[in-house]
Amino acid sequence: MSDEYENKSGYQAQSSEALTGSAGSTPDMDYVRPAELPEQDLYHGHTFITKWVFCQDAKVIGVQYFLTAVFTGVVGLILSWLMRLQLGFPGLAGFITAEHYYQFVTMHGMIMVVYFLTALFLGGFGNYLIPLMVGARDMVFPYVNMLSFWMFFVAVAVLMASFFVPGGPTGAGWTLYPPQTILEGTPGSGMGILLMLISLALFVIGFTMGGLNYMITVLQARTRGMTLMRMPLTVWGIFTATVLAMLAFPALLVSAIMMTLDKVIGTSFFMPTILKAGEVLEYGGGSPILFQHLFWFFGHPEVYIVALPAFGIVSDLISVHARKNIFGYRMMVWAIVGIGALSFFVWAHHMYVSGMNPWFGFFFATTTLIIAVPTAMKVYNWILTLWRGNIRINTVMLWCLGFIVTFVNGGITGIFLGNVSVDVPLSDTYFVVAHFHMVMGIAPVMVIMGAVYHWFPLITGRFLNETLGKWHFWTTFLGAYSIYFPMHYLGFIGVPRRYYEMYDSPYMTSAVGMNEFISTAAFLVGAAQFFLIFNVIKTLKTGERAPKNPWKANSLEWHTSTQPPEHGNFGERLPVVHRWPYDFSVPGAKDDFIPQTTPPSEVAHTKVEKT
Amino acid sequence: MDNTGQINDKDKKPEGSTHKIGIYLWIWGLLFVLSFFSYLVDWYQFQGMLRWSLILFFMFLKAGLIMAFFMHLFWERYALVNVLLWPMTAIACFIFLMVAEFEYTLFTRVFYFFVGGGA
Amino acid sequence: MSDPKIDGFELKPGFKGMASDTGSDQTMFKGVHWGKAMMWIFLLSDTFVFSCFLIAYMKGRGSTPVEWPNPSEVFALEAFGVPVPLLLIALMTFVLITSSGTMALAVKYGYERNRKMCGWLVLATAIGGLTFVGMQAYEWSKLIHEGVRPWANPFGAAQFGSFFFMITGFHGTHVSIGVIFLFIYAYKVFAGHYESGKRGWFTTMKGDYVEIEILGLYWHFVDLVWVFIFAFFYLW
Repeated sequence: MSDEYENKSGYQAQSSEALTGSAGSTPDMDYVRPAELPEQDLYHGHTFITKWVFCQDAKVIGVQYFLTAVFTGVVGLILSWLMRLQLGFPGLAGFITAEHYYQFVTMHGMIMVVYFLTALFLGGFGNYLIPLMVGARDMVFPYVNMLSFWMFFVAVAVLMASFFVPGGPTGAGWTLYPPQTILEGTPGSGMGILLMLISLALFVIGFTMGGLNYMITVLQARTRGMTLMRMPLTVWGIFTATVLAMLAFPALLVSAIMMTLDKVIGTSFFMPTILKAGEVLEYGGGSPILFQHLFWFFGHPEVYIVALPAFGIVSDLISVHARKNIFGYRMMVWAIVGIGALSFFVWAHHMYVSGMNPWFGFFFATTTLIIAVPTAMKVYNWILTLWRGNIRINTVMLWCLGFIVTFVNGGITGIFLGNVSVDVPLSDTYFVVAHFHMVMGIAPVMVIMGAVYHWFPLITGRFLNETLGKWHFWTTFLGAYSIYFPMHYLGFIGVPRRYYEMYDSPYMTSAVGMNEFISTAAFLVGAAQFFLIFNVIKTLKTGERAPKNPWKANSLEWHTSTQPPEHGNFGERLPVVHRWPYDFSVPGAKDDFIPQTTPPSEVAHTKVEKT
Repeated sequence: MDNTGQINDKDKKPEGSTHKIGIYLWIWGLLFVLSFFSYLVDWYQFQGMLRWSLILFFMFLKAGLIMAFFMHLFWERYALVNVLLWPMTAIACFIFLMVAEFEYTLFTRVFYFFVGGGA
Repeated sequence: MSDPKIDGFELKPGFKGMASDTGSDQTMFKGVHWGKAMMWIFLLSDTFVFSCFLIAYMKGRGSTPVEWPNPSEVFALEAFGVPVPLLLIALMTFVLITSSGTMALAVKYGYERNRKMCGWLVLATAIGGLTFVGMQAYEWSKLIHEGVRPWANPFGAAQFGSFFFMITGFHGTHVSIGVIFLFIYAYKVFAGHYESGKRGWFTTMKGDYVEIEILGLYWHFVDLVWVFIFAFFYLW
């Protein structure tokens, strides 16, 4: 294998002259201390298989992750359509039985949270952007990175296989609460749940391999001059989310293993004594609450695993498209880190009505409300970044604005639910559904859309069509609000979630019309996503060619030797970083942006801050 | 052309990066002694708080010695040490809360066994 | 290990050093090999796995109203006609600590580029690990003969067997994986891969004695987990 590591002449370690500064005769102010490590040697694939299938280039792996995640996302979207079909027009589609409905709910939840959002943000954007943004040639362990994707791919395959086994996929709800998860009578309690647990375990193993890469690349493989406090917030968000994932997924793995044992060999970790049709089952003595604690010890950080990369990415997009430096960069970083740390101390606010120790409500309500502080600081900073900015109202900016509004909405309902006494009557109603879809469904998806429109020129060299993009945004934005605003009201009048049908309950009269409206909106919003797919297919062939650095951004990914970047990212020389990536509209500067690689001597006459 | 940094440098004197053999032998011996002591806790059948405090004391001492010297954490820079140790606060909180939780679960189980579940 | 030397960067001691390391460019862990940093972070993640197992065990054992079997009696072994409490467990602890010590010395001799010593010590560690796995297999079969099953046992609470087999099984899996790698690395040391810089297949990095330290970290971690299992499972 080793002969394929041919060191192209350009990939030699920098010579000793080059190590002392950026060029031969620059003033001392441009000094950046020499490289600590020699250049990374990369494996260059030669065949189709090593270049595109079992590829070790983080950028290709990122796109692979992205496409696989989008595929699962489309499956999740179709499931949500089927659910809304049943809820809005009960009995219209005869093939949706109650069992099917529960299976749709479960698979929709699990797919969207774990296999779509987590994989897309960390696997997709993380792989593509981290090495480019910190100025590395590639991830530090390209081979492990490749394995990580294929492990994820197998996990998705196992998950999808569960649709086709006898009994179908599990229908226990995405939280998989025992004891009903593995008892007969719950749909998919045979093969379905087993495949789900196996798939989750595979996902965790695959993610661990990827997560180690992201973490070590950020910590140990930055380029010269790239301090942690000069990293784009995108990297900060993805990095912190990765740390959370590395520490939270173990709890999921442990609960999956224990539940598998309960299911397969009849242990009773989570299974209490159960009477079924007058007969006592073999199980006894286990604690279902234990599962809930383990699950939410993973589950709450998981919320931030999805949210933090979105926070980071949206900060960068807003800054670039408002032509202003991000307001309070350091505060933003500390808020991300603070939210990440606090997220391990709030988990049981998902369990207020579970029958846990009643004193816990006090502890967890307090920590939950504390975590709102750094989150609110981030929202203020986004708005203050926009304040008096030179805002370009393009598709990317629209998605960012949509994100801010949606996130504030979802965040405020979160304050409701964080308080025990408010949460108790709202538990298990559509209010909760509306809350978490706003805050960790719609909001991150809006960031993903904005990020796709933003980085598409980098990845493909062509722009996405703006007109289609604006149609895409407005249908999605207005549609999403049509879905979730009425849902809050449904929750207030007490409509319970996860019910297959309302039958003749007193909710019927006022909820029926609203459910029909919500369902119609949901069909339209889902269909609107095909604007994007059509847009991508169309512009891949015929789109306007993007010039280099089309958005006039500062961060390193736009300053590669070629665009789209080749394997190795930066050509002969790694970039040397002299500043943060947010020097926009600096008074006195020639352009309204100063790339991170610009040495201080070139902008000495401007009012640029030292960063 | 690899990433091993300074350590790989073949011209470097090897003594710079290793420690005297004595320290390893000392720690090794100490671990045996401490394991023996924690075994004695069971042998003499100490009970109650004495048993618990002895078990935990020997456990943390052994764990600390292994991490500090065998895993070289004592000689690592604080940046690494702190990154590794701070996440344990989450585990500590988890343990602390689960102690409260198992006491409450036991309480409800015993309570409703005698009182009955019906409201 | 001891502080490296870095051009143009002053390594300060203590928390000042932590601040300046963290605030510097390029690397946060100065002089730490990528693979070693990866192993440390992986072990941190694995610590959370074992912590969750042990916390679950604590919750399960603490909340059961049924009597928990006395480990001191369950794990007793007949020696010369007298039952000695925890005899086998004590021997297993002895073996594992022995192998941990040989591993620590192997790391030392590896950095001193003493190929022979390093190789023999890694091999000794592997054999120690294998002995441990063998003893654990014996312990399991003895308990199974006595009627202990994951779902029930004759001594008391059913969860005793469940947690016992799951946690020691998961630990044993870690040991077994470690033993396999120890044998592979012993071969690699003797074959001189760490002197010629032959590329490993997993991280595709050139071979170096730092890999012995990385493997050592994993092996000490396995020992570390055993310290906790010994305290919480056998002594509690």
